[in-house]
Amino acid sequence: MSSGRISWVLLAYRLPREPSTPRSALWRKLRRLGAAQVLDGLAALPLDARNREQLEWLGDEILEAGGEATIWVGELGSAGQERELAARMSEAIAVDYRALIEEAAVAAAQQFGQRRRTLARLRRESRRIRARDYFPPPERELAQRALDELVALVEEPVG
Amino acid sequence: MRWATRRHCHIDRAACAWLIRRFIDSEAEFLFVDDADEVPGDATPFDMRGVELSHHDGDCSFETFLRRYELADPVLWEIAKIVHEADLADERFDAPEAAGLDVLLRGLSMVRDDDELLALSGPLFDGLYEYRKRALLTGREPA
Repeated sequence: MSSGRISWVLLAYRLPREPSTPRSALWRKLRRLGAAQVLDGLAALPLDARNREQLEWLGDEILEAGGEATIWVGELGSAGQERELAARMSEAIAVDYRALIEEAAVAAAQQFGQRRRTLARLRRESRRIRARDYFPPPERELAQRALDELVALVEEPVG
Repeated sequence: MRWATRRHCHIDRAACAWLIRRFIDSEAEFLFVDDADEVPGDATPFDMRGVELSHHDGDCSFETFLRRYELADPVLWEIAKIVHEADLADERFDAPEAAGLDVLLRGLSMVRDDDELLALSGPLFDGLYEYRKRALLTGREPA
């Protein structure tokens, strides 16, 4: 794009308040994708083929649940607003990395066997976070380091 | 019969095409479109928005095919778990193969067109079927 701005795919939707199951399923799926909730009923992701397809499927699920949904493709009107949105998404993902770092610290004090299981779980968690990390915060690097340190501990059982 | 789906196939469409050819229509001919409006009248669309053979109630298209065609083969349902997780990664199932299969097909789709992708991924799904079948029969992962 000539403006150099990020293209976004947006899901505009309205879901009946009851039953609440489709609402919470949608919330969970949007969170897993790392979507930014721009407003109530408007979720955004950086545009790529995968994100667009995933939002389209969610849109169809909303329609099947008796709601309304449309898919939009666009960009923000100002560079400042774009930075703000990216920073918000970056901060949200930083919270997830920080939780991971804390868990890795706890695991360092665990028994060897338990520590190894925790490492396996944290690796999976790390992959899930990275899959929805579009604007990597510094915490990404820190989380990777925390996991690497845990790996070193697991590889050298003492006593 | 002619079957139509979206261009730039990935895991769910590749798996559906394999399923169609192997279990539903051995003479299947596939065509790829950009939009649902382009599907010719004599072709059955799948894995596209708003069509019957697509995502429904949180199922991916492969699962929808199994339900609509009443394919009760437990091996196919094992593959369905993998396809579901590779496509949607919503952790409805525990399918560790999904991440690897996703990468393989995504990579393949970068260097091959849709016809070639289906031709190359077919034997991969044949193998996956055989592997899952043996695992199911013996109760352990085949070596």
